[in-house]
Amino acid sequence: MLSSIYKARTFVLTTLICLLSIGMGSAIVHAEETPKSYNYSYWGDAVASPLAYRATALLNGDSLGVGSFKEPNDIHVTADNQIYVLDSGNNRIVVMDASFKLVRIIDSFEVNGKPDKFMSPQGLFVTEDKHIYVADTGNNRIVHLDSNSKLVKVIENPQSELFQEKFQFQPARVVVDKAKRIYVMAVGVFDGFMEFNANGEFSTFIGANRVRVDPAELLWKRLSTRAQRSQMAQFTPTEFTNLDINDEGFIYATNGDRFGDTIKKLNAQGNDILRRTGYFSPRGDIAATSQMDASRLIDIDVADSEIYSVLDSRHGRIFTYNGDGYLMYVFGGLGNRLGEFKTPSAIERVGDQFLVLDKGLGEITLFETTEYGRTLNEAVRSYYRGDEEAAFALFQKSINMNANLEFAYAGIGKALLRQGKYAEAMKYFKESKDQLGYSKAFLLHRKEVLRGYFPSIMTGIVLIALGTIAFRKLRHWKGGRKHAAIEQ
Amino acid sequence: MPQLNSELLKHPFYLILHPFNGYWDLKYDWNKKNNLIVSFSILFLLVVTNIMSSQYSGFLVNIYNPADMNSLMEVLYVLLPVLFWCVANWSLTTLMDGEGKFVEIFTSTCFAFIPMVIIPFPWIWLSNVISIQETSFYYFSHSVAVIWSLYLLFVGNMTVHQFTPSKTIGTLLLSVIAMGFLAFLCLLFFSLIQQILSFAITIYQEIDLRS
Repeated sequence: MLSSIYKARTFVLTTLICLLSIGMGSAIVHAEETPKSYNYSYWGDAVASPLAYRATALLNGDSLGVGSFKEPNDIHVTADNQIYVLDSGNNRIVVMDASFKLVRIIDSFEVNGKPDKFMSPQGLFVTEDKHIYVADTGNNRIVHLDSNSKLVKVIENPQSELFQEKFQFQPARVVVDKAKRIYVMAVGVFDGFMEFNANGEFSTFIGANRVRVDPAELLWKRLSTRAQRSQMAQFTPTEFTNLDINDEGFIYATNGDRFGDTIKKLNAQGNDILRRTGYFSPRGDIAATSQMDASRLIDIDVADSEIYSVLDSRHGRIFTYNGDGYLMYVFGGLGNRLGEFKTPSAIERVGDQFLVLDKGLGEITLFETTEYGRTLNEAVRSYYRGDEEAAFALFQKSINMNANLEFAYAGIGKALLRQGKYAEAMKYFKESKDQLGYSKAFLLHRKEVLRGYFPSIMTGIVLIALGTIAFRKLRHWKGGRKHAAIEQ
Repeated sequence: MPQLNSELLKHPFYLILHPFNGYWDLKYDWNKKNNLIVSFSILFLLVVTNIMSSQYSGFLVNIYNPADMNSLMEVLYVLLPVLFWCVANWSLTTLMDGEGKFVEIFTSTCFAFIPMVIIPFPWIWLSNVISIQETSFYYFSHSVAVIWSLYLLFVGNMTVHQFTPSKTIGTLLLSVIAMGFLAFLCLLFFSLIQQILSFAITIYQEIDLRS
C-alpha cells in the first residue's frame, strides 16, 4: 500500500517537473530592440548591420528661394538627374538640377488660349523627352505638358461601359511607359490601374488586387441576415497606394493589403511577376506583431538591375530589395533628427542617392551611400550583369563589413561553383541557407569524389567478390573432404 | 543471460513484422519486466534519434537554428506526448470496458514506435549524401515510418483491450481529444498554482513592508 502511494507520488512529481520545465522553456524573453540599421536573418531576427545610407542634406523651398513647400506629394527624377517636385499645396511644380539649383517653376499653362492652373495635384511623371504628366486630382483630370510646359493634351472623364454610373475620375498617381501608354492610379477604383493609350483614350484596367477575406468576417457574414448584410462593408479588393515603372516597362506597385503581397511587379497583362525567392517575401518589416505595427507601404522606386525600394509610412523606413527579393538594407525612421521624417510621402533615387520627401515638413532629405552601401549596390549590380568575378570580390568585401549579410554568401558560392571549387561553394551556400545552390554544388562534389575513389572502390568490390567465391570453394572442398571421410 | 538478451532483441522485431501475433504474445506470453526494459530503451532511442536528426541531418532536409536547439526540450517532446497518450487512453478504455492495464498500454505504445527509430536513424547519415532531388526518398521513408507506427499503435490497442477494429479507431480518436483536455487541465492547474503563489508572495511583501 505504502509502496503504491510512493509510486504514485513519484509519478505525479515527474509529471509536475516536466510540465513546469515546459513553462520555463517558453518564458525566455527575447530582447526586442531594433537596432538603427538592420537586416533580417534567415530566422527572421533583426540583426544589426552597418549603415548603408547616411543623410547628408536637407532641402526645402526656402533654401531654393521659391518659398516653402506646402504639402508636396510627389517627386520625380529624370535620367539626367533633373528633380521635379510636385508642390501640391502651392499648385506648382518645382524643377531642380542635379546640384539642387532651381531650374524653373511650372505653375500655369494655357488651355485653349486661356491660362489654367493645377488644383491640389497628387502625382507627377516625367518621360525621357521631358514631357510632364500631372495627376491633377482637384480638377479630375490628367494634364500632359511638353518639355516647354506647353499643353499637349488633357485627359478628362474617360468613357467606358466598365465604369459605374456615378464614377468620378480622380487620378492620384500616374506613370507613362515607353510606348506613351498612361497608367493611372485613381481614387476609389478597385479594378486595378486605368490604362490609357497614347491618345488619352481609356483602354482597360490592369492588375486588380485579389479580394482577400478574413475568415472571421466571412463567418459573421454567413451568419447574418440579408438586411444585416446590406449594412456591412462589402469585400472589395484593396486599392493600390503607389506605382512606378522600370526601363523595361514593368509596373511596380504597392498596396495596403492586410494579408498577402503588398509589393507587386505587373507585366503587360497585369499579372504579378515579382520574384520572391528571398528569405521572406518583400513586404517591409516582417516582425510586426500586430496590425497597427505592420508596415504600410506608400511609395516604390525602381532603380537599375531590378533593385527596388519601398517607403513604409508607419515607421518612416525605406527598405531596398534586389531582384530576387532579398532585403539589402534599411534606413530612415520617424523622429526629429537629420535622416528622420515626420510624414514621408515619396522616395526617388538620383543615381545612388536617395531623396525622401516629407509632406508634413515640406522638406526633402538627401541620403548618400556609405562605403558599405556602395559596395553592396555594386555587388548586386555586377551579380545581375552576370559579372561573377566582380560580384565575388564585392560580395567578399561587403561580408567583411557585415558578416551577417546572409544572401551575399550565396553570391560568393555561385562564383566558387563556377570556378569548380565545389566543396568550398557548399560551405558558402550553407552559410546563406541556399538549398538549391548547395544541392547543385554537392552533386558536382559527389561526382568528383566518387570519380576520385572509383578505382579503389571497384578494386574493393572485385576483391570481395573473388574472396567470397574462393572462400565458398574452399569450404566446399573441405566439406567435400569431410563428407568423403565420413563416407569412408 | 544470453538467452534473455537475444529475446530482448528478437521480440521487438518479431512484433513489428507480425503485429497481431506479436502483441498477443506481448500481452500474454512475454516477460513483463523484459517488456518494460525494452519499452524504456525504445523511448530512449527515440529521444536519441530525434536529437541526433535535428542536429546531424543533412542541410538539404534540415536547416536548424542552433539558438533554438535544446536537447532537454527534445526529451520532453517525446516523453510528454507518450505520457499523455497513455494516461488518456487508459482513462478512456477503463470506462469503455477495455481489458488493458496501464503497463500494457504503455508497453504496446512504446513497441509501436520501433519503426520511428529504425527507419529515420540511418537516414541521419544518408541525408548528408543526397541531393535535393533525392530528398523525396527521405520524406517518403519518414512517412512510411509514421504510417507503420500508427498501424502498430492501432493493432496494439486492439489486442491489448480486445476491441473490435471500429471501436479501436473510435478509442484512438477519443484519446487524442482526451489528450487535449489533459493538456488544458494541466495548464489551468499550473497557471492557478502560479497565481496563488504570486498572491501569497504579494501578501508576504505587504506584511513585510508594513512591519
